[in-house]
Amino acid sequence: MIPRSLRFGLMLGVAGVAGALVDQGITRISHAQEATRAALHLPTAPDSSQDLAARFIAHPEHLRPAQRPLRGVVLRNPYAGNASAIATGAKLFVAYNCMDCHGADGSGAMGPSLADGRWHFGGDDGEIFESIYQGRPDGMPAWGTLISPDQVWILAAYVKSLEKDANPTTENFTGQAEARMGH
Amino acid sequence: MLDARSFACLAAAALALAACSRSDNAAPRDSASVTVAGAHIAAPHAGAAGEWRLPAGDYASSRYSELDQVTPGNAKNLHAAWTFSTGVLRGHEGQPLVVDNTMYLVTPYPNVSYALDLTKEGQPLRWKVRPENSQVAVGIACCDVVNRGAAFDNGKIFYNLLDGHTIAVDVASGNVLWRTKMADMSRGETMTMAPLVAKGKVIVGSSGGEMGVRGWIAAIDESTGNEVWRAYNIGPDSDIKVGARFKPFYGSADTSKNQGATSWSGDTWKTGGAAVWGWLSYDPALNLVYHGTSNPGPWNGRQRPGDNKWSAAIIARDLDTGEMVWAFQPTPHDVWDYDAVNENILVDLPVSGRTRKALVHFDRNGFAYTMDRGTGEVILARPYVPMNWSTGVDLKTGRPVIAAGKATDQGVKVTNICPSLEGGKNQQPAAFSPVTGLFYVPTNNLCMDFEARDVTYVAGTPYIGGSAPEVAGPGGYRGEFIAWDATTGRKVWGIKEPYPVWGGALATKGGVVFYGTLDGWFKAVDARNGTLLWKFKVGSGVVGNPIAYTGPDGKEYVAVYSGIGGDMGLLIAGDVAANLPYDVRTRGSTLPDIARWTSWGGMLFVFSL
Repeated sequence: MIPRSLRFGLMLGVAGVAGALVDQGITRISHAQEATRAALHLPTAPDSSQDLAARFIAHPEHLRPAQRPLRGVVLRNPYAGNASAIATGAKLFVAYNCMDCHGADGSGAMGPSLADGRWHFGGDDGEIFESIYQGRPDGMPAWGTLISPDQVWILAAYVKSLEKDANPTTENFTGQAEARMGH
Repeated sequence: MLDARSFACLAAAALALAACSRSDNAAPRDSASVTVAGAHIAAPHAGAAGEWRLPAGDYASSRYSELDQVTPGNAKNLHAAWTFSTGVLRGHEGQPLVVDNTMYLVTPYPNVSYALDLTKEGQPLRWKVRPENSQVAVGIACCDVVNRGAAFDNGKIFYNLLDGHTIAVDVASGNVLWRTKMADMSRGETMTMAPLVAKGKVIVGSSGGEMGVRGWIAAIDESTGNEVWRAYNIGPDSDIKVGARFKPFYGSADTSKNQGATSWSGDTWKTGGAAVWGWLSYDPALNLVYHGTSNPGPWNGRQRPGDNKWSAAIIARDLDTGEMVWAFQPTPHDVWDYDAVNENILVDLPVSGRTRKALVHFDRNGFAYTMDRGTGEVILARPYVPMNWSTGVDLKTGRPVIAAGKATDQGVKVTNICPSLEGGKNQQPAAFSPVTGLFYVPTNNLCMDFEARDVTYVAGTPYIGGSAPEVAGPGGYRGEFIAWDATTGRKVWGIKEPYPVWGGALATKGGVVFYGTLDGWFKAVDARNGTLLWKFKVGSGVVGNPIAYTGPDGKEYVAVYSGIGGDMGLLIAGDVAANLPYDVRTRGSTLPDIARWTSWGGMLFVFSL
C-alpha cells in the first residue's frame, strides 16, 4: 500500500502535494519516481522499464506492506482533525454525490462503508487521498480530474472523521427481543 | 414485541399455521369460491413441460409449471435432493434454466455460468464460462451486482454481463459465440436483467435509473450478435420509435410531436432514467414485446417538471422493429421512485362477462393493473398492498389521484408515504395459475419519509437527489405473499411475513405454490387457500425465483437460489450483505433484525419428493 501512495503523491506534482507534509526518507523518492514512470509507460532513461519494475517490486514492504514500518514519504492531510474543514467536507460529500454511493454518514450503500474502520485500499491519509484522487478499479471515479486537490484533502478529512466509532467486532444477538411480525 | 394474536399463532403453530397466516382483510374461503374459471396463459410453456427455457418459463411471464407430482397432499414429503455452490456470495436474483437434462446457472458478478449434467450422479459440470467482465461495473451498479438469469433458444443461452455486454454461449461446447457491448458504463449503465429471445432476436435493456442514464431497449440478432434495433424510452420520436403505429389509449388526442422530450423541461430528458432493467414479456399473436421503464432521474421532481414520458411506463413495442405501439404511465411525473419495471403477465381473463386479452402488472406504486394488452386500456386498478400516496386511479385518464400532502418536494420532508420506494413489490416476479385463475404475488409492506434535494449530474455517479428512510408499514409486518384475483382486483388470501418477500413465485399444476423469504425459508403453500404445506431453511435469504423441472428419473424437482442481496439485501439489510466480508456495516434501519436470521450465501437448492 505504502509505495503506491508514495508514488502517487509524487505524480500529483507540486499542486497536489502542496498541502502534504513530507516526513523523511528522501532517498526513496528516486525509486518511486522511476516506478511511476514504469507504471505509466512514460519514457525512462537510462534504465529499461522492465528493470525498474523488477527493482521496484523487490522491495519487501511492497510485497508485504504490513510487515515493516514505512521508511519513506508519508502524506499527511493538512486538514486532519480540522473541524471547519470536516464540516465543509460533509457538504462536499453530498454535493459530489459521494453520499449516494457510500451512504449517509458514509455508512455504506452501493459503495463500501467508510465508517467501519475497515479499508479496502488503506485508511491512511495518503491512501484515502489516493482513493479519491485517482479512483479505484471497482467503480470509484477518479475525482482528481474534476475537483481540486485541496477539496480532495477536505473530503479525506471528513471521511477520516467518520470512523470514530468504528469497528464493532462482535454482535451478540442473545438476550434481545425477537421483533418479528408475521411468520 | 409479540402482540397477542401473533403469540397465539406461535403457540399453535404446529397445528394451525394456515389460520394465522390469512390476512386480516381477506376472509378464508373454500376452494370453490376463490378460483377464476376460464383464464388462460397467453403463450405456451417454452419447450417440454419438464423444461424451463425462459426466465419465466414462457413468453407470458406466468411462472407456471405443468408439473403435478407435488400436491397439497404430499408436499410435506419434500426434501433437499441436492445442492450446488455458485462460488459467489452476492444477491442471487433470477433462476436457473433446465433444457434437455442440463441445468444452466448464471451467477451474480462476475457472471460465471455453469452447465450441470443432470443425467449423472452428483450433477458434474459439462462446462463453466468465466467471461471477461470489467470490475468497474461493481461500483456502477446501484443495487448489488445481481443477474436475473439467462434465456435459451436454438442451442444457445444468452445473458447479460454487469459491465454492459450481452453474450451467447453454445450449450454443446460452452464456447462464447459472440459478445456484444450494449451498455455504456461511463454513462452509469450496467446490465442485470434477463434477456428474452423470440424469433431469433435477443431483447435486452440496461440498469441505471439512479445514475442519470437515458434508458433504452434493444434487439440483437441471435446468430450474429449484431444489434438489429435500439429504441430509447425518452427523447425525440425518432429515437423512441414513435411513428404512425403509436396509439396510446390515454391522451391520444394530444398528437404533438416528440412528447418523449417535450414532457421534460429543457434537456433534462437526456439524463432522465427510464431504464429497462426488469422482466420482458412477448405476445406471439400480436408480435408485441412488453417492457417497463424505470423511475425518472433524479428523484427530485423539481429538476424535471412535466410528465416525463416515458419514464415509469409500461410500453408495447413491435418485436421486429422496436416501434412503440402503445405506452402507459402508471405514475406520470414520478416523485416517489416508483419504477414501472415489474413484470407484465399476459393472460386471457374473463372480466365482467367477456374474455379480455389482459396484461396484469403489479406496479411499484401499489396498484395492481389489469389492462388490455392490445390497446393499453386500464380495465381496473386496485391497491394490492397498504398504500396512502394515492386515493385511486381515474379510469378516464389512467392517472392516479395523488393524496393531499403526499407528493414529495425539494427541501421538504414528506412523512409516512406508503408504499416506500421499494414499492408494493419490486423485481420479485409474481406467478399465475390457470388452475385457480389467481396470481401469486410476493409483496413488500414498507413506508417511507422522503426528502428530495438538488443534485448535480456527474456522469458515472449516482443521480438521485433524495433520501427516503423506510419503516414497516401498517400492521408491523414487512412483507406478505398474496393470492390476487385480477378480474375483480381483490386479494383472496395472504401470508404475512416478517420481511419483504424479495424472492419470486412459482405456481404448479399440482396445486402447490412455492416462494422463498429473506430470512431463508423456502415454502410450499396450497394454491387455493395459502395453507403452509412445507418449509425448509436454506443457507441464506432467498431473493431468487423457483422453477420446476422433470429430472432424467421422471421425478418433479423444484430448484431455487439462496443468497441474500439485491437492493433489499445489499442496501437495506446493513451488514448482512456488505460489499466484502471484511466490511462491518451498521445495521440498516429498515431490517435491523435480519442479521440474526441469515447471512451471505450463494447456493442452488433442489427439492423433490
